[in-house]
Amino acid sequence: MPLTIIFAFLWAPEAEILGDTGRLLYFHVPAAWLSALAFIMSGIYSILFLRGKSNNVRLQEEKAFNSSVIGMIFLVIAIISGSIWSKVSWGAFWNWDPRQTSIVVLVLIYIAYFSLRAATDNNPKRGRLTSSYLIIAMAATPFLIFIIPRLYLSLHPADTIINSEVKIHLPPEMKITLLLSLLSFTLLFMYLFRLANRISKVKLEIQNRPEEFINEK
Amino acid sequence: MKTESHYKNNVFRNLQKDYRIEFRNKYAFNLSVSFAVISTLAISLTAGGAGLSVKIQAVLLWIILFFSGMNGLSHIFIRETEQDTDLFLRLVSTPETVLASKLLFNIFLFFILQIITVPLFILFLNIEIKALIAFIAGAVAGGIAIASSTSILAAITSMSGGKSSLFTVISFPVILPVLWVASDSTANSLSNADYTGCQNIIFLLAFSVLITAVSFILFNYIWAEE
Repeated sequence: MPLTIIFAFLWAPEAEILGDTGRLLYFHVPAAWLSALAFIMSGIYSILFLRGKSNNVRLQEEKAFNSSVIGMIFLVIAIISGSIWSKVSWGAFWNWDPRQTSIVVLVLIYIAYFSLRAATDNNPKRGRLTSSYLIIAMAATPFLIFIIPRLYLSLHPADTIINSEVKIHLPPEMKITLLLSLLSFTLLFMYLFRLANRISKVKLEIQNRPEEFINEK
Repeated sequence: MKTESHYKNNVFRNLQKDYRIEFRNKYAFNLSVSFAVISTLAISLTAGGAGLSVKIQAVLLWIILFFSGMNGLSHIFIRETEQDTDLFLRLVSTPETVLASKLLFNIFLFFILQIITVPLFILFLNIEIKALIAFIAGAVAGGIAIASSTSILAAITSMSGGKSSLFTVISFPVILPVLWVASDSTANSLSNADYTGCQNIIFLLAFSVLITAVSFILFNYIWAEE
């Protein structure tokens, strides 16, 4: 696993030079994809947390949190790169097409989740409350992402046409780079996620058995 | 059969209890109604009779309803934890009956709120409704969607210390699709006489059903003591 990550890191920057004008594509698309992936993963870990009965349940909740923190970082990258790109190609930093709207909702959900988690500090029910919230939010988002753009397709025709044209006319070199970038970004996410999980595992161990660690010191 | 009638009785009893307490001390209800009235008057006054477009009228109506709902809808659960009656409620009723009664109460509360706010809004902003049935149906469906999706969030808020500003923050992303679709439905019914709004109303009701189903699955985890 670490070897693959190093390989992807060393390889990806070289490949990105291929696309000159649409270079942002290789950062923007993977970042947006990862923010959604991280959100889904937090939701899955929340379900696991609520269903779980084993003794490392608390770790599942920490994992959900870690995943959403990393997702938030990628979300910020996606929004910044996206609005710069939007300014260049559509003439405005922000124009409320369905995808931008769904990303804003994702930001709001993350903000709400973080404030709920901050508010329930030292609360024994913290894990249950935050996990339930993530699951409710996850149940509501399909409406925004899949159904509303379909209901209001006539209002935003330009966006879908532009997007599908980009996909159709993508030359194979760019396609390979994009796929490679997606892969390397996903591996980066996995790496960060594992790192954060290891930190929280150690934290939980220290919390569970403080006396051992104090003695060692 | 016996358990079903028992369930209904329990829900009804909780509902009756909530109704009595909430309308004995009308704090939360008065707060939401006065908020709605004040913001309607403020908009009417500052607009100064300027003709607002149909879209803006619809958006303003739903924003007023959203924020006045935010003031009132969380109180039903926050009251239980503030007055330390939640422990007793856990002993006498099952989580499902608690959620069912609170959900029905919130729908009822929001409905009353709408009955007061919407006519005032129409009166003060000189709104002309083209498709009356679609307007009413859209408003009712939107109200049900808001009330049903906020009930579970109110429970989360009350369990996490009962800060009402937290309630607004965590509700907004979940309600956003409702606000979007409901304001679109209202705008169309204000401008188009032939508008039926079936699609939007189905969307709102489907949303409420989904969130209610998820709420019933999750409520046990939120409500029960560990």
